[in-house]
Amino acid sequence: MISQTALHITNRIIAAFLGGYAFTWGLSALAITTMVTLGIDFHEAETGMTLVAFLVFLALFLWTFAAASMLRVWLVLAGGAAVMMLIATMLQNSLVS
Amino acid sequence: MFNSFRMSMGWVHTWLGLVLGFVLMICFFFGALSVFDREIDRWAIPDTRFEPQPMPSFDEVLKPVFDELKPHPTDMAATQQRVIGDLPDPDTMPLKSLYAYTTHRDPVLRIGGEFGIPNEPKDPADDHLHVHGWATVNPTTGETLSDSALKIGSDWFYPMHFNLHLRWNMLGYWIVGVAALVLLAALVTGVIIHRKLFREFFTFRPWKHVLRSSLDLHNVTGVVALPFHFFFAFTALVIFATNIYLPLSHTTLKPLHEQHEKLEAERTGLPHEESGEAAPLASVDAMVAEAKRRWAERDMPGEVGYLFMDHIGDENSYVSIYRAGSDRVALVGEGIHFKASTGEVIREEPPRSVVASIDEFLTGLHLQHFEHWMLRWLYVFGGLLGAICIATGFILFVEKRKARHAKAGSQGSRIVDAMAVTTVTGMVIAAVSMLVANRILPADLAGKGQWEQTVFWWAWGLAFLHAAWRSSPVAKARVNPAWREQSWVLAALSLLAVVMNWVTTGDHLIKTLFTDTYWAVAGVDLSLIATALIAMLVARKLGAKATETVKPKRGKSAQHNKQVNAYD
Repeated sequence: MISQTALHITNRIIAAFLGGYAFTWGLSALAITTMVTLGIDFHEAETGMTLVAFLVFLALFLWTFAAASMLRVWLVLAGGAAVMMLIATMLQNSLVS
Repeated sequence: MFNSFRMSMGWVHTWLGLVLGFVLMICFFFGALSVFDREIDRWAIPDTRFEPQPMPSFDEVLKPVFDELKPHPTDMAATQQRVIGDLPDPDTMPLKSLYAYTTHRDPVLRIGGEFGIPNEPKDPADDHLHVHGWATVNPTTGETLSDSALKIGSDWFYPMHFNLHLRWNMLGYWIVGVAALVLLAALVTGVIIHRKLFREFFTFRPWKHVLRSSLDLHNVTGVVALPFHFFFAFTALVIFATNIYLPLSHTTLKPLHEQHEKLEAERTGLPHEESGEAAPLASVDAMVAEAKRRWAERDMPGEVGYLFMDHIGDENSYVSIYRAGSDRVALVGEGIHFKASTGEVIREEPPRSVVASIDEFLTGLHLQHFEHWMLRWLYVFGGLLGAICIATGFILFVEKRKARHAKAGSQGSRIVDAMAVTTVTGMVIAAVSMLVANRILPADLAGKGQWEQTVFWWAWGLAFLHAAWRSSPVAKARVNPAWREQSWVLAALSLLAVVMNWVTTGDHLIKTLFTDTYWAVAGVDLSLIATALIAMLVARKLGAKATETVKPKRGKSAQHNKQVNAYD
């Protein structure tokens, strides 16, 4: 028997670690491709993003535990990650071709 | 428990802090030891107890060493798994690239290289396959050190603090990465819940004294060193970001990255591939002299920290010479690249950009290859403060719950307490046991380093079993006697290590401090003695506590942790 509380906590932990990671990944991909599009050197963009990425991850991580609605958390994290990955991939394709 | 902001933050702090706290203890403690990893190496390998050396002459000292370098059997076996067909005889493999690395604290030099193989990889994406070889060289004689001599500081304690020696699928790196993120979260949530917690404990009369003292220590070590802890957890993630934690350029953005690399190679003029035509090697010493002249011209004279050569023996071969960052918060840098066959400069790296400078400063401050002994010691104390903060966190967790758990018949506090003993006294016992084994095992024993690792894991495992076996009093809201007993063991082992160092090498403290001063060995010996004294003091106090009251309390537990961890 898994209690309601255990499920709830598991959901928050998964969202915080994996959801937060996915969002951070998508944001980094989008930020780097955007910066390269604007003419910034690839490694400059990459390094700059690593200095920001984990602070974003930390904020998302804490928000996941503080948020009232888990539905909203998942919408933002998973939805945001998917949208940003999509735009990043399109930007990359236009840059490489 | 997620009904209010503060309660949800408290949940994150307590539970994630507890679970990852055991990992963070390892990171902080072995991280603190890593500050003096080279010095611990000297203690563990007496043949290398001499002064740090600059990068030796390549033409006279290193070239003959590289001529003798062979593919390492470990990497031969690993590479064989990844290629089609049998690898050729290692003696026939040509050396394709080489490196040599040293710092201002290294008497010995690390060298290595890549050997070319004709085999096709099993996985087509696995291109540029080589077999690696490596060795440690005494630059004063050109002799290589025995492979069985483990550098306990830089090859055991240091990697322990960032990968736990769990190499399978990089698992250790990921566990430490999660722990680093949780530490950041625990610091933020700790500040948020701080005042609330304080008020709660004020009304918790029966245990007021015990809880208050460990809470105070938890808060002081957490708050005073908060910037330090935050900085190290954050930069830990940044250091491994591009290769492990967020490897975008190897995955999602691989096409963009490859395009950039090609353009970059054209811009810098450093050949990415061989030409196929053989060419001789010009004097590398002359290139080093030219690099030093150019650094001096830029008003930053310095020593060579890193030397690299690619496409050896080919017309496209080049030599890269990097300056050691001993006098600044940075790593090796200011690279100057030479054409290997003629010695002419291909490229001089421009000063770093703003973003790269910030990154270099942050990672450099974490890795601290610079020369500043006082700051080095402050790092040790900062790391130990972190360990105290987490250890007192364990005590708080147990003290707050053990009476309730005892009434309810729960084993929760008992398990946490046993794990706390294992990661506080048990971890230090494991580290010191390894040093004792290092001095007892004969120097010419084949696979000596392997034996030392075995002793390390067994000592830690036994400490855990002992803590678990003695833990039943905790379930009755009393103290686990393992705290006291392991403190005695630690004291005895630490003194034994110092005595054995004297017996086996003749380097006693009067010699290493006064008559023939050698701080690396004296420092390790003095730290071991300090550990022994503190452990004895703690064991005695815990013993007195246990006998003076019918119902023993753990009034000194917090202090206990502090003292046990003041080991370096």
